[in-house]
Amino acid sequence: MFVSRTLALVSLALLGAASAAPKKVSGYGALGVVNGKAGGSYTLPLGDSPQSLFYYGVIDNNLGLISQQLFDGLVEFNLATYKIEPALAESWTISPDGKVYTFKLRSGVKWSDGQAFNADDVVFTYKNMIMNPEARAGDPGNFKLGGQNVTISKVDAMTVRFTLPQPAPAFLLQQRYFIMPQHKLAKYGQENGAKPADINGAWPTNVAESEVVGTGPFKLATYTAGQKVTLTRNPNYWKVDAAGTKLPYLNSLDFLIIRDPQAQVAQFLAGNLDQLNISGAQFPDLKQKEVAGAPFKVMRSTALFGSPPFVAYNFDAKNAALAKVLSDVRFRRAMQGAVNRERIIDAVYNGLASLPGHGVAPANKAFYTNTTRQLGDFDLAAVGSALDAMGLSKKNAAGVRLLPNGQPLELDLTYGTDSAVYPPIATILQSDFAKVGVKVNLKGILSSRLLATGQSGDWEMILHAFGDQPDPELRRPIWQPGGSLYYWHRAPQPAKDGDPANTARMAAWEKEIYEIFNKAAVEPSASARKALYTRWQLLFAQNLPVTPIAKPENIGAVSNKYGNYMYNLGVIPGYNPVPLIYQK
Amino acid sequence: MLTYALRRLLGMVPTLLLISAVCFVVIQLQPGSFLDQFKEDPRVTPESLQAMTRQLGLDQPLWAQYLHWVRGIVTEGDFGYSFANGRPVGSLIWERLGWTVFLAVLTLVVSWVVAVPLGIYTAIHRHRRRSTLLNLLGYISLATPDFLVALLLIALVLRTGGTNVGGLFSPDYIDALWSGARVLDLLSHLWIPMIAIGLEGVAGLMRQMRASLLDVLHQDYVRTAQAKGLAGRRVLWGHAVRNAVNPLISLAGLSLPSLISGTIIASIVLNLPTIGPFLYDSLLNKDQFVAMTLLMFSALLLLLGNLLSDLALAWADPRVRFE
Repeated sequence: MFVSRTLALVSLALLGAASAAPKKVSGYGALGVVNGKAGGSYTLPLGDSPQSLFYYGVIDNNLGLISQQLFDGLVEFNLATYKIEPALAESWTISPDGKVYTFKLRSGVKWSDGQAFNADDVVFTYKNMIMNPEARAGDPGNFKLGGQNVTISKVDAMTVRFTLPQPAPAFLLQQRYFIMPQHKLAKYGQENGAKPADINGAWPTNVAESEVVGTGPFKLATYTAGQKVTLTRNPNYWKVDAAGTKLPYLNSLDFLIIRDPQAQVAQFLAGNLDQLNISGAQFPDLKQKEVAGAPFKVMRSTALFGSPPFVAYNFDAKNAALAKVLSDVRFRRAMQGAVNRERIIDAVYNGLASLPGHGVAPANKAFYTNTTRQLGDFDLAAVGSALDAMGLSKKNAAGVRLLPNGQPLELDLTYGTDSAVYPPIATILQSDFAKVGVKVNLKGILSSRLLATGQSGDWEMILHAFGDQPDPELRRPIWQPGGSLYYWHRAPQPAKDGDPANTARMAAWEKEIYEIFNKAAVEPSASARKALYTRWQLLFAQNLPVTPIAKPENIGAVSNKYGNYMYNLGVIPGYNPVPLIYQK
Repeated sequence: MLTYALRRLLGMVPTLLLISAVCFVVIQLQPGSFLDQFKEDPRVTPESLQAMTRQLGLDQPLWAQYLHWVRGIVTEGDFGYSFANGRPVGSLIWERLGWTVFLAVLTLVVSWVVAVPLGIYTAIHRHRRRSTLLNLLGYISLATPDFLVALLLIALVLRTGGTNVGGLFSPDYIDALWSGARVLDLLSHLWIPMIAIGLEGVAGLMRQMRASLLDVLHQDYVRTAQAKGLAGRRVLWGHAVRNAVNPLISLAGLSLPSLISGTIIASIVLNLPTIGPFLYDSLLNKDQFVAMTLLMFSALLLLLGNLLSDLALAWADPRVRFE
């Protein structure tokens, strides 16, 4: 065990050391990536004005999309396999006990204003932004393990070291945080007398463009309020293509600020946008235009990231008799047979979705366990007899089953009305549930309020979605019982944030999942972690804390003028195919 | 006149204060808080949410938040802080005000220039076929929401192979320096919002003009003028129209707040860089000081518009003078 673990760590370290600056981007032939040529510009939509130009000062997806082109992290994803690769860190070593991570920084990297990048920038960024609890978009939670702080230190000009109080195998995956320039932001640093919260005020949207400096493929050229953000090529970028040509290929990357999705489609059809992510509902129309000879292609790809919708039942529903039924695993398993996944995939997603996993996307080669069989079949007769067997066989005159106390088995289904998929899914569920004697009342709210409603506990059945991630550890607050987002069963949540969960209130299977997550979080062996998460997925599939419905595919449309297109969901730090895009 | 105006201006202070309190209460009645939208983000821990609550002052009691905001305005002219943008509200609004005023004034002028003559025409030629047709068109455009017109125009442009389907400029001209070509590009985009936003105004104004002119045409003084043998043209323009235009002056003053909230949906659909969508977002996200400031601004414009139209009316119509 110990030997294989050490071997794995050594080989990981070797893999990191094998590449030297600049990084050569190759090996994506299978994805259709070819050597491109320099020049050209590319225009993307942006859903709204960025709220700031400082990534760690606001939590804003639109800023994230821009920042992704301006900054890099220590590590990044392989675009095909989602494995972690060197980025600003050229190599790293992990101590055998899994507690010390040492990153050797890439030499010769320059900021877009020509200053040299070094360990001071990394330490400055981690201390003042990522680990700073007052920075709005910081991530201090990941730097407190078992109640103790992770420490970061500078070893020499090109080496930084993290010391962890306990092993954390997902730690490397998390170090995709964008690194910021110390020489531009020094006055916001706590070591220079600034208050911890001051950092949020850096780089407001009216800052001089030349102040925003990064190591990413592009640099900020101009921002016109409410209309457009223009980026130009960073000549100091540290990546080259397989032939040794400097990346990015494009001279400029423009973001047009267009709020309305329909307006985005119109601008794409008019040729003012070169790429657009679309939904399954928009697919047939655009595909038809493509087939009719429009100068763009509509591409579909299986998705690792993205949010598969699920339906959840409130174990702690206000009506006690109802809560008893909803928290009964027999009920959830039975009702799964009334979820017509195929019809939903067909009618709602136009066939552009597949069967979901349980907490892990089927495209996730590292962790997915095939649980398709546990999804069961759409079989209303079987649902009927299973509900009968639970003692819910009595029905009233309207054909609605009665709870043991004589009340009808009636549920409010809370769903988001401002979405292309939730309303049709809700009506399909309603009509099929009615056929087995379960009355569903639709209760529409704004999608942005779904989570808050879920956490408030004031609901009975909810249609919602959470995003998939490459490592289950990154979604622990959702899937670990007692976690802050495990809202379908709030009883085990601790009274105070940060306290351990109340295991006494968990069902046996929940307790097991709880322990799996605790163990996997500190288990250094990859194979042992995989085994733990396999067990979790099986428990999930059998006990259905939530019932997953479908995994939508990613669909993007791109102008024929460009090559090397790869679907890009949005803000996934460390996943950025844009430098490879070239104008034909 | 001056004392009257001053008295009115002073009277606005308590009114605005009352409005601000009502706005604040209404915004607070909305469920949830600005921070709700972040709960789903894996980067945001409960601790970060607590820190943000403290930073934004959302942990203060409501009355304290309100008083702090009002005090800022009175003592420093500071309209508070945008939670979302981390910048003072004043400068954010200022950034968006230019295009908003430009579009509003332009549509206002265009709709007046088109609507008033049409209203007069349809009133004079009351039962003719052409004016019936114009009236019908007026009804239709009054009944069609502006965003729908905008969508139809966009679809039309796309169908004919055009590329000007929203915004005020083509992508290349957005951040270009002013030049002849840029003005041309602006003009080629401008006609869609002009029609979409202006059409509703045209129809309304035209109906108003027609109705009030019809009223006036049967008044005694018009008949007297006609009986005295004045030329038809002088009777119409010098007496009838001059009197009939009074209600429109009041109407013009009332249309000032539409600067902010009048064209939200059309602005979103047409992707116009105006204040409307900004207000919409701030209300949705409970970015409370932005929403409050914009609502207050809107109320102030309404009060000012009322005052201005009263003054203009007094100037235009001797019967409503005060001294």
